[in-house]
Amino acid sequence: MLIEIAKGMAHTLRVMLRKPITVQWPEEQKPVAPRHRGRHILHRYDNGMEKCIGCELCAAACPVGCIYVGAAENDPANPVSPGERYAERYEINLLRCIYCGYCAEACPTEAITLGPRFELADYRKERLVATKEDLLEAWPNMAQSRRSPSDHGAGADQTGRASEVPGLSPRVAWEDGIDSSASPRPGEYGIPSHVPRVISPDEAEPR
Amino acid sequence: MAADTTPPAAPEDGLVGITIDGRTARVAKGTLVTDASAILGIHIPVYCAHPKMDPVAVCRMCLVHVEKMPKLQPACATPVSEGMVVSTERADVAKTREGVLEFLLLNHPLDCPVCDRGGECDLQDFAFRYGPQASRFPITEKVHFNKAVPLSDRIELDQERCILCWRCTRYYDEITGEKELVLQERGVHTLVNTFEGKPLTSAFQGNLPEICPVGALTNRKYRFKARPWDLQRTKGVCPTCSYGCNINIDSRDFEIKRFASRDNPLVDDMWLCDRGRDSGPSWNNVERIRRPVLRDATGSREVSVSEAVAAAARSLREVRERHGPSSIAVLGSAENTNEEIWLLQRLARTALETPHLDHQLEAFPDIGPEEHALGIAEIEQCAAVIVLGDEPEREAPVLTLRLFKAQTKRGVAIRRVVAQATRSLVGELPAEGLIGLIADETNREHATALAGELSRSHQVRRMTVTRGVNGRGAKDLGMLPNSGPGYTAVDQAGKAGRHILEASAAGLITGLVVMGGSVWSASVTPLLERVAAALEVLVVIDTRPGPLSRAATVLIPGHAIFEKGGTVTNMEGRVQRVRPALPPATQTPSETRILSALAAELGAAGWPGDHLLINRELVTAVPAYARAGNGGRALFEAAVRA
Repeated sequence: MLIEIAKGMAHTLRVMLRKPITVQWPEEQKPVAPRHRGRHILHRYDNGMEKCIGCELCAAACPVGCIYVGAAENDPANPVSPGERYAERYEINLLRCIYCGYCAEACPTEAITLGPRFELADYRKERLVATKEDLLEAWPNMAQSRRSPSDHGAGADQTGRASEVPGLSPRVAWEDGIDSSASPRPGEYGIPSHVPRVISPDEAEPR
Repeated sequence: MAADTTPPAAPEDGLVGITIDGRTARVAKGTLVTDASAILGIHIPVYCAHPKMDPVAVCRMCLVHVEKMPKLQPACATPVSEGMVVSTERADVAKTREGVLEFLLLNHPLDCPVCDRGGECDLQDFAFRYGPQASRFPITEKVHFNKAVPLSDRIELDQERCILCWRCTRYYDEITGEKELVLQERGVHTLVNTFEGKPLTSAFQGNLPEICPVGALTNRKYRFKARPWDLQRTKGVCPTCSYGCNINIDSRDFEIKRFASRDNPLVDDMWLCDRGRDSGPSWNNVERIRRPVLRDATGSREVSVSEAVAAAARSLREVRERHGPSSIAVLGSAENTNEEIWLLQRLARTALETPHLDHQLEAFPDIGPEEHALGIAEIEQCAAVIVLGDEPEREAPVLTLRLFKAQTKRGVAIRRVVAQATRSLVGELPAEGLIGLIADETNREHATALAGELSRSHQVRRMTVTRGVNGRGAKDLGMLPNSGPGYTAVDQAGKAGRHILEASAAGLITGLVVMGGSVWSASVTPLLERVAAALEVLVVIDTRPGPLSRAATVLIPGHAIFEKGGTVTNMEGRVQRVRPALPPATQTPSETRILSALAAELGAAGWPGDHLLINRELVTAVPAYARAGNGGRALFEAAVRA
């Protein structure tokens, strides 16, 4: 029996003298696995052109619908990407993303991959809608100004049209109780009082 | 014992029997095998065949095996004959399809990710379903052609993607007759081009990208706007003219990205004009009235809808008490739905008790339903059609395509004459058969005179091209000073549109209610400035700012035609439903609810505000609309008032 205790203590002593594997994150960083699926990266070709052509196949493949792409036509004199089409807007709602990697699999030009970055906590939801400028690879001599996510992009509330007041969708105004003087009150003109809706009740007709 | 191989005797029903893949059907004589297969629910892939054009059988995609025929037959050009046995599942058919697709993809650039057609492309779909999974041809040896060649400011041609089905050239030959596209060169270098390289000038170019089975012809205005799977599709009616073409409203991000055609053989025959097709996306840039506004001598302020409605009712009541009910007038417009028109004329006649109401500026003395007796599809059954002036076809461009079809495919004699023609046309017309007479509203009187002359020797039916999407509905439902709902007589005829405005400028009318007036107001801006200065009360319900809305004492925003539900009536009386394709751009309720609230404030409570309830009320009062239902024609018996 003493032998067993000695054997156990010997193991304890051996492990005690070993260097600990715990990392003091975030002061200390640890390399992630090469195929780690963290926040996405939009890649460029060696000449700096964007690989993304705005085809929206990533958005089509996305099982949670967190990708928004708005395409536009390249200016032949100053193209953003090779060919006729490029992504004018590219947004990913990182809160909704499940990091499955289907977007990278669907991409015909290998423009999008999932990168090593996993530290994605923030205090504001809006900041977790990554725009094209956030996702693009940095490139020398190319300024990348941060543009706020658009009204109708990946992070937008898709229940109502944006109001003419920037940054305040009708739905938000409604729920926050902001006095948007023109909106109908519950109970007014047949709008049921328990449903916080801004869309006209005409919508209720089945299509 | 040998089996009896004689087929059973065919019943004498004028039909012929066909068997496709073991399923049998009896179809009309002359039916093509592709159409018969569609009836049986069997898919035969086609590229060159098009339901509205004659078969040419150039793409060879539809080759099928027909028993007792030595070679495979093109299903799109083979009429059904009695006892025909067709197979689409045999190995030789599948192998031929693979071969045809391999040839079609030989020089295809495979740039589906950047192609506007990707996702709704027949070449993609059929290659996926019937094609070989790999090509034996090295991708580096493809022959390249020009990409993104502009054919006009609307259409772009990608010559690499073209599969030479001839649909576009046949469209110009058979449907519009303009012959603007031709095929050039031979063999692998064959390409579609405009005649002599001139840009396209047709008014129906927007149909080309729709009939192109691949992404060769694309719409420059829709270029890279969206992918098909992004689009939310709503059935609608084109809001541009009174022809009432059926459309699909494709929207994304609460913006209309395109109008696509929706085949209704009785109306549009699946063709749209460019003016109508472009009208949808142009709405995205339209300035809109967003909030209710009260305005008086001290200035203007934004208020809630209920305040605006209460203020409108209060000021209208005051005007009525001071100057009497006939000092108030109500003007609608041809852009309002039938339900709004119904409430608005009811508001004028019962709540405000004024005889002065109209929906447009011109006066229409002796208006009657006989002006709208000819149906659009009936043009093809006429012996001859007389078109007075060029206004009808300018007003409703798709009419031109129907006339061309009647002329070329049905042998109808089309006579285009100047509206004021004084010489007799009787001698030029066929002695027998129905005569169609098409005019627009400015030539009403000439048309009436001509119809009177012709009806002595011929059976004549008239078609009048009304203005605005619902000009006909406004007339049917009595938004007129001299005619009630269903062309019934009115006790006291009021002033017509222009006279209302002149009386307002002269101070005879002091209270005016205008709904959707931005349609007609552009033509009379100087008069409107005087009107606005003279009026005491001007209540405006509108979607777009205009001279009237800027002067309104009470301004209430309205919903655009694709933001609300209801019905509209086209010029032949076809009642068609419109549905909300977008949420409204304002936070206010729809016009029907505002009108019913206004009526309640004026003391007439209990009016329905929902368009479906209003429609129920409307069809009870106007039986022709009950008979029309959704999609049928509202036919009135002529001369109800006489």
